[in-house]
Amino acid sequence: MKLGLKLALAALVVGLLATVPWWGSPVMVQFGINALILATLAQSWNIIGGYTGYPSFGNSVFYGLGGYGVAIAMVQFHLPFAVGLLLGVFLAVLFAFLLGLPVLRLRGHYFAIATLGLAEVMTAIVSNLEIAGRNVGLILPLLKGDTVFFELSLALLAVTTITVAWISRSRFGFGLIAIRENEEAAAVMAVNTTLYKILAFALCSAFAAIAGGIHAYWITYLDPSSAFDITLNVKMIIMAVFGGAGTIFGPVLGAFALSAISEILASKVTSLASIFFGLVIVAAVVFMPRGFADLVRRFRQQRWRYFQENIKAHRV
Amino acid sequence: MDAILEVRSLTKRFHGVVAIDNVTFTLERNKILGLIGPNGAGKTTLVSLVSGTLEPTNGSVLFEGALIHQLPAYRRGLLGIARTFQVMRPFPGLTVVDNVAVGALFGAANGSHKLSGAQEEAHRWLKFVGLDHRAAQRADALGGPDRKRLELAKALAMRPKLLLLDEVMAGLNHVEIEEVISIIKKVRDQGISIVVIEHVMKAIQSLSDQLLVLHHGEKIAEGKPEDVLSKDEVITAYLGRKRS
Repeated sequence: MKLGLKLALAALVVGLLATVPWWGSPVMVQFGINALILATLAQSWNIIGGYTGYPSFGNSVFYGLGGYGVAIAMVQFHLPFAVGLLLGVFLAVLFAFLLGLPVLRLRGHYFAIATLGLAEVMTAIVSNLEIAGRNVGLILPLLKGDTVFFELSLALLAVTTITVAWISRSRFGFGLIAIRENEEAAAVMAVNTTLYKILAFALCSAFAAIAGGIHAYWITYLDPSSAFDITLNVKMIIMAVFGGAGTIFGPVLGAFALSAISEILASKVTSLASIFFGLVIVAAVVFMPRGFADLVRRFRQQRWRYFQENIKAHRV
Repeated sequence: MDAILEVRSLTKRFHGVVAIDNVTFTLERNKILGLIGPNGAGKTTLVSLVSGTLEPTNGSVLFEGALIHQLPAYRRGLLGIARTFQVMRPFPGLTVVDNVAVGALFGAANGSHKLSGAQEEAHRWLKFVGLDHRAAQRADALGGPDRKRLELAKALAMRPKLLLLDEVMAGLNHVEIEEVISIIKKVRDQGISIVVIEHVMKAIQSLSDQLLVLHHGEKIAEGKPEDVLSKDEVITAYLGRKRS
């Protein structure tokens, strides 16, 4: 499919989704908000993890900072929600710049491990800040109704995805992909690798922060352990990789599919749900390591051979 | 005389090992310098010091009269230095044409900052090296000889002033070597200065205006190809000592 056609289709889907709050059940709308926020997080992780090739475990920190930006602005200073979002984005981008400088020098597993500790560090810091409500947390003012949050989350996902679509066709994006494919060769070809990595990190932090801000205002409560939850980061990586990291629509499809599966499973037998969820992910990694987007692209030519070759490549 | 590249008393040590030992030479604009020497002589290290993938321990590198040996690699690329890698480093997940487009997007002057323009330019360079028929394939689908051509096209797409070629002919057959020789001559005729590392003697002799021989990191000979190749110490370095 041509990119233009894909985008037209995506616009149609967004239009249809936007009507959900008017006819869907409250449970459905609430599920939708969660799925949209997870999809935004998976998509923002896609910028640093999928396109630049840096598997960040620090994105839940951006998400948490976005939440605290909103909470602190609204609770402590009685400022409007929009100002809180800006504060959250500012904090997250600042953090991405300060942290990116040392951490983005590391590659592969070392980068992953270095970012893995960040959530714990932030939990410890925020738990001791008076302005952030210490480890008790903050209670935000209540805004009744889910419609606003649904539409906000949908708009954010659309903007994030449009940004990723732009990245995939731009000079900036080609620089990121070159870094992912071979960083030394990229530098020799005049790509300012340090700057590009930090810009990618900052860009993804901004989207994750807005998602965190919307989520905090929606559930009206925020404490350090839920704001800087590392399992959220694991979720966004699994969703992005399941759908196809480094593709435009893969992370969104992955987030929707896995959100739906886990919702269905959780409503049946809870204890079996997580086991089955784990099995789904293991199977996905073995049978389609480059994600759903790659499966769709290749299955037409290769049919069942596609799975055979992936299994062979794993030496299972 | 107009020097494009000056290397002055350049030294590179890796812990205890001296890879480049006090090497000095000058490359005139629009000339081809052949860099030869046995395996492990330090040829690739020298290219890496000029292109910025390694930092020198001592000495200096001047490009168009300006000191560059402390600039990061990407800045040297912007100034107009391009290199190929002996161990080829394509962007494996990108198509062949997009590999070359990266060079056009980020290279020195006159590069297109629009993707469509860069891809058009990439196709031109692929035609130039005879690889345009594989433009739409992924780079990791290419075999050895075609990867060499791709390395060359990527470097050329940057529109460099100085091109550093690290064994672009290794593993090619006679016909392919002739093709690459004529490509390199065409590149020189466009006003680009070139440093060629090569083991294929016929190629080195027909291309080089000037030859530099490295052995254990030291410069052991320099000059016109026919003079240098008849020197005793060069023959010894390559073939071992003559029996007396």
